[in-house]
Amino acid sequence: MTTISLSPTVTPRRFTGEVGLLVGRGFRMLPRVPERLLDVTLQPVVFTLLFLYVFGSALHITDPAGHPVRYQDYLLPGLIGQQLVFGLIGTGTATANDFASGVIDRFRSLPVHRLAILTAQVVGQVLEQVLGLVIVVGIGLICGWRPTFGIGGFLELVGLVLLGLLASTWLGVLIGMVFRSSDAVQGVGFSLVFPLSFLAGTFVPIQGMALVPRVIGEWDPIAALVASVRRVCQGTPSSGSWMLEHPELAMVGWCVLIIAVCVPLALRRFSRS
Amino acid sequence: MTSTRAVVTEGLTRRFGDFTAVDELDLEVATGSVFAILGPNGAGKTTTVRMLATLTAPTSGRAAVCGHDVVTEAEQVRRSLSLTGQFAALEDNLTCRENLVLMARLRGHSRKDAATITDRLIERFDIVEFADKLVKSVSGGQRRRTDLAASLVIQPQLLVLDEPTTGLDPRSRMEVWSSVRELVSDGVTVLLTTQYLEEADQLADHVVLIDHGRAVASGTPYQLKAQIGEQRVDVVTSDVAAFDALVTALSGRFTLTTNRERRSLSIPAPDETADLAAVAKAVHATGVTVDELALRRPTLDDAFLALTGSPSSHPAEETA
Ligand SMILES: Nc1ncnc2c1ncn2[C@@H]1O[C@H](COP(=O)(O)OP(=O)(O)OP(=O)(O)O)[C@@H](O)[C@H]1O
Ligand SMILES: [Mg+2]
Repeated sequence: MTTISLSPTVTPRRFTGEVGLLVGRGFRMLPRVPERLLDVTLQPVVFTLLFLYVFGSALHITDPAGHPVRYQDYLLPGLIGQQLVFGLIGTGTATANDFASGVIDRFRSLPVHRLAILTAQVVGQVLEQVLGLVIVVGIGLICGWRPTFGIGGFLELVGLVLLGLLASTWLGVLIGMVFRSSDAVQGVGFSLVFPLSFLAGTFVPIQGMALVPRVIGEWDPIAALVASVRRVCQGTPSSGSWMLEHPELAMVGWCVLIIAVCVPLALRRFSRS
Repeated sequence: MTSTRAVVTEGLTRRFGDFTAVDELDLEVATGSVFAILGPNGAGKTTTVRMLATLTAPTSGRAAVCGHDVVTEAEQVRRSLSLTGQFAALEDNLTCRENLVLMARLRGHSRKDAATITDRLIERFDIVEFADKLVKSVSGGQRRRTDLAASLVIQPQLLVLDEPTTGLDPRSRMEVWSSVRELVSDGVTVLLTTQYLEEADQLADHVVLIDHGRAVASGTPYQLKAQIGEQRVDVVTSDVAAFDALVTALSGRFTLTTNRERRSLSIPAPDETADLAAVAKAVHATGVTVDELALRRPTLDDAFLALTGSPSSHPAEETA
């Protein structure tokens, strides 16, 4: 009997092949458990309509120059940010469930690169979350949201959103692996993401908040996300802290930081256990 | 590289916090043989197997599979072995066929080869009837067979089976046994864990008995059985008074192993039916009424008693 004694080589082709197979596995299952997609289908529809018509009827928002802003145009960039960070909880839940099932252990016992298993988890989740964002944008447009960007602005938006999704998804995968149970992920996720997404200038401007929430909001990563999406979509400037004065830079910084921390931690956790 | 030993472990140890799940285990599995790790719940079988399959890192000691170290050469180890875990590790929302194809593709087979291999496995493991059903809707035994097939999308050098027949009905158990025998005749080395003495006896060339993560006995089934004894006659009485009366009456004539709590006593029966008849006659003569009187194979409990002099500390679920 012969064994391969060469040192293992991971070619990019083999790596992408493995990721492709594992992503394909996830998508093949989706039509059989459509309820798994509720957080990127029903939830964005409900949230968008709810916030638009509940808050929109009472809030009168002005831009920094004092001109009134239509609430659709204020809210939609905020909702894009919120949907994006809620993806973290969806990813965490899916990862915790997946890892509890024993299938992931079987993959780990195969000569499949472990980063490929995690990458597939991230890619699959990013694709699902894109669906949620498309729904938010679609409903927003139907309800009167009018972004003002051109082609360049649109590409910038896509770039920002994809980077944001990558960061939130890697964080979600790590959280799902650390907490193991989907209930725990939901508990931790909502008690963290909910307040942070409300303080981030998503629904009302940060400037008007009391001191403590305002300071948190001014340094909230979600605020950088929302402010940069808002600047790209409507050309609205933001201010209040260094972060809000440079929202795109801050957002890219946050995302790179999150990814740089989460990927090695997730990989280490995944390889050990 | 050719090796005469498919698995070698030296002082293999795994701790979880203060708790030692596997304690200084030394194993040697000859290439081409069937090796059984026999032990009760919590003995450390799964932990041992997971260390060999590179899923859990050893705390200390070392282990090599087909000549490759499980820590430093994990990738080569994963190429050499296939693991069927204790709990079926299939995707519930894929069909049995889709699961097999996925495993074959992940093992590096082309789409076409994967389809061919899957068809062959579906035939061989008698999966045809439910091949296109979702795994979540097939029975436990069918799931187990698919799980076993999923480990054979390649011909591994070492096949590791963690309690392959626990929870299966006798017929499914026989089928798994015959699959294992067939694989061995193809040259695959098999390492399996079990709680059933009979299973180790049926399949294994070498058995190691473990408890609390330690090897407590080891040898061929023949050697172990010689120590344990063959069949036994079990007598269970309906109340303690009857039990005491029976023990007093029989203790002069037979070698008794008694359990007063369960009101049961057990007598070695090397001559099988002849011994059964002798015991039945003696019991009848005492006039004591019994709930049960039966000839049975030795259980894991008997093995512990005979080989270590003390009962296993965990209740074994022996139903075989
Ligand atoms: N991840 C873990 N963390 C803490 N303790 C663990 C862990 N995995 C196993 N153990 C403990 O190690 C001991 C051995 O467990 P193991 O699963 O190896 O036993 P086993 O022989 O496979 O038992 P069974 O027959 O029930 O499958 C048990 O007491 C178990 O509680
Ligand atoms: Mg076990």
